[in-house]
Amino acid sequence: MPEPVIRLENVRKSFAMPGGERVDILDVPGFVLAAGEQAALEGSSGSGKSTLLHVISGIMRPDSGLVEVAGTDITRLPEGQRDRLRADTLGLVFQQFNLLPGFTALENVLVAMSFASGKPDRNRATALLEAVGLAHRLHHKPAELSIGQQQRVAVARALANRPRAILADEPTASVDAAHQQQVVDLLKNTCTEHGVALLVVTHDPDVARQFPRRLKLEEFNRAGRHKV
Amino acid sequence: MSLLGIAWRSIRQRLFTSGLTALSLALGVALVVATLVIGGVVRDAFASGQGLGYNLIVGAKGSPLQLVLNSVYLVSKPIENISWRFYQEFLPAEARPDGVAGRYAGSVAKAVPICMGDYFRSFRVVGTNAAYFDTLTVGDGRPFGFAAGRNFRDDEFFGGVLGSTVATKLGLAVGDHFSPTHGADDGLVHDPFTVTGILARTDTPVDRGVYVNMEGFYLQEGHAKPVPEGEGGDEAGAEAGKERDLSPAGGNPAPLPFNQREVTAILVQTASPGGMPPELLAMGLKTAINEDRDGQAAEPVREIRTLLDLFVRPLELLLLLVTTLVVIVSAIGILVSMVGSALERSRDVAVMRALGARRSHVLTAVLLEAIILAVGGGLVGWLLGHGIVAAIGPLITTNAGVSAGFFSAAPLGEALLVPFLVGLAILSALLPALAAYRTDVAKWL
Repeated sequence: MPEPVIRLENVRKSFAMPGGERVDILDVPGFVLAAGEQAALEGSSGSGKSTLLHVISGIMRPDSGLVEVAGTDITRLPEGQRDRLRADTLGLVFQQFNLLPGFTALENVLVAMSFASGKPDRNRATALLEAVGLAHRLHHKPAELSIGQQQRVAVARALANRPRAILADEPTASVDAAHQQQVVDLLKNTCTEHGVALLVVTHDPDVARQFPRRLKLEEFNRAGRHKV
Repeated sequence: MSLLGIAWRSIRQRLFTSGLTALSLALGVALVVATLVIGGVVRDAFASGQGLGYNLIVGAKGSPLQLVLNSVYLVSKPIENISWRFYQEFLPAEARPDGVAGRYAGSVAKAVPICMGDYFRSFRVVGTNAAYFDTLTVGDGRPFGFAAGRNFRDDEFFGGVLGSTVATKLGLAVGDHFSPTHGADDGLVHDPFTVTGILARTDTPVDRGVYVNMEGFYLQEGHAKPVPEGEGGDEAGAEAGKERDLSPAGGNPAPLPFNQREVTAILVQTASPGGMPPELLAMGLKTAINEDRDGQAAEPVREIRTLLDLFVRPLELLLLLVTTLVVIVSAIGILVSMVGSALERSRDVAVMRALGARRSHVLTAVLLEAIILAVGGGLVGWLLGHGIVAAIGPLITTNAGVSAGFFSAAPLGEALLVPFLVGLAILSALLPALAAYRTDVAKWL
């Protein structure tokens, strides 16, 4: 059994509502993503998928529980160290791609490198973009790229710092049906090629069924069944 | 990619907004610099009225300030002329044709006459004698220097000396000839004078003066005081306009008779008998002259101090107040712009934070952006401010008699206020920087 890249134990997260009432969003007794593993996490809108990714990536701190990334319990780390660990070990792909509009494709990858422990490596950034078929679009800004090309830049950026895992939040939600398969193939193939674990969050069963491991958030997230 | 690179990219991404922000700051700095420099130049120029080698100006009765402004700063109009006889009262026995010392001569170390009223292409023409440049000083006791040529001699009736600005602007050199006009630029054209020397730059009103031998000045049409018939004296004046050679001495014609002469003012340095400060005698001499009906005496330093206290300083304070308001408005403009920019970039900040940027990274990036805009805008504004001074320099020269150009500076004020303004701009970016620092990542992703 490969070592886990991501491990959650008794993770709970709730939010205060405007009326002062607290609503449980996450109550996950356990979850593990092994090194090199590829999994799809299905969930309906509002089921806590994005919150789970934010907790795993250290953007949000859970109310309680253990969140281990690459062997480190990030809930015990101060925010700055969580940020550094995220930059070093995780790659994020967003639903809207979230490329920085003022930066070229190459600079978008270099920016991600500049927040990690290593130094920005222009050659590696170029190689990553070439690997996703964007050798001729290195110096184009996002607005000058097609939707598919933007998504490829986002994948290259996620791989910039040699992450242990890529977390993709609804990566096919904003592309048309023709491009959905390309995005899924790109993520799966790239992660396989780089030996990176992949957790894709999606509400689309067609996307989820293409992954060897398919999880339904509602099945292991106990939140919503009770209020705290 | 460094944080500086990220900041620069952010500026380029919002080039129009960033440009307007920097421009707003640049205009603020430019106004500050222009105000400081012009205020400083005017103050310095008037302060240069000290140490000129004379401590009293004697002229016709009227406004003492007008007398000083006209005689020292070559602005305003002459009040009137005083008689040659009155001028003679300041001369020692050996300088007078009758061999009797003037009644004020005992209190006077030197008395240099000046005659005004002519122009040469908008520059004032001053008729005087060689003693002007031989015995008076530029200021603080420094003697006049010549960039080219030499002072005219008293026997060179048609010799002239040009201030450095006049020579530069009109492209005149030693040996060239120039013809003053009577009373105004388009007045009657007088006989040509020959340039014997060009003064070294003094940064005082002297730079804008055209100085001619008063003997030649007197011989020009309209300069001879009319005298009653039978008192003679028409002969010399009648020679004006006749053909002559153009050397400075130029076959000097007969000088204008004394009874047809007047002077506009006399620059007087009081004596200091027994090492006594000349100011002591100046007080008594001034009182004596002012009690007389022939003219008045004014102390240039006192008059200028009055001018500075009554007009220049309050004006300067007003300008500084306006400038301060401009600075505050500029800072608010930058604040508004940066806050708008921060709101616009919230998503970008959230993305960078998600990619691993620490809060300190985004805070630094926003501050760096502000520093680039503030320093860039400040630098442009500083140059623009000096450009404004250069552009309105001729106007200042015409109206205030003070030379101001691109390289005129108010070193202390600029060294303090410009960095202060740039610092204020950077400080105003703290708010948007803190907004970036506090960006809720999850909300924007």
